[in-house]
Amino acid sequence: MISFEIYVQEGCASAGIRPAVEIALEAVCGDVLGPEAEHVEFAWTVIAKGFGFRGGLPSTTSLVRSRIPDGCDRVTRARFLRSIGNEWCRLAACAQDEVIVSARDWSWAG
Amino acid sequence: MPFYRCLIPKDSLSYEQRERIAIAFTDVHCGLSTAPRNFVQVAFLDSSPSGEVFDSHGNGVLRYETPYFIAGGNRAGRSPETKGKILEGAIDRFSEIAEVPRDMVSGFISEAPGSWTMEAGRILPDPGEEAEWLRQTSSPA
Repeated sequence: MISFEIYVQEGCASAGIRPAVEIALEAVCGDVLGPEAEHVEFAWTVIAKGFGFRGGLPSTTSLVRSRIPDGCDRVTRARFLRSIGNEWCRLAACAQDEVIVSARDWSWAG
Repeated sequence: MPFYRCLIPKDSLSYEQRERIAIAFTDVHCGLSTAPRNFVQVAFLDSSPSGEVFDSHGNGVLRYETPYFIAGGNRAGRSPETKGKILEGAIDRFSEIAEVPRDMVSGFISEAPGSWTMEAGRILPDPGEEAEWLRQTSSPA
């Protein structure tokens, strides 16, 4: 199983793109991680305007945080992160420096 | 990478307070680490009646019993002392700016390896290795 928690700044990525994003990210999961990606879940959080900051300034940055099966090697994880980031930028029409993508091991306790 | 989610009662803080807290968290985090200022993300979200929030850097939920809760997520690799100072500093500054007693604010910082995150199209460095990373990256606020 794979899960995504996606944080978007209000006004920076419309709710209308969510279905396309979910389809695209599921495809990346399948392409990069293989059969492990058979079930993918999404949770979206919109950070209201005036409630999100980066470096103390109003933020336009989205965070796409995922949990993936344990044991992913460094090269595969990097490919996964890059592919997710590219798809996000394409669909949300934003720059690479406006998205932060992460993929932590499923059992990582933090 | 540093991502601080402040769980707060709805409409409890003004924009000015939120902005000041975001700046203060950036000051605290960057004053105790070598992280660049524009790494620091701060979001204010409504607290939940359940007193639970997903751990952004771990595998479970964080539970809180105070009206205000700081759920931090950082890169792994700093000492427990530094991690503790960052959290204490954030709670102190939050309490001061929000004008609420310190015992009404709690928090927790979880961590994950920097290599599990990509920012500006590049894998993040470990703490302390930011200078070279920044030399190769243009990362605006």
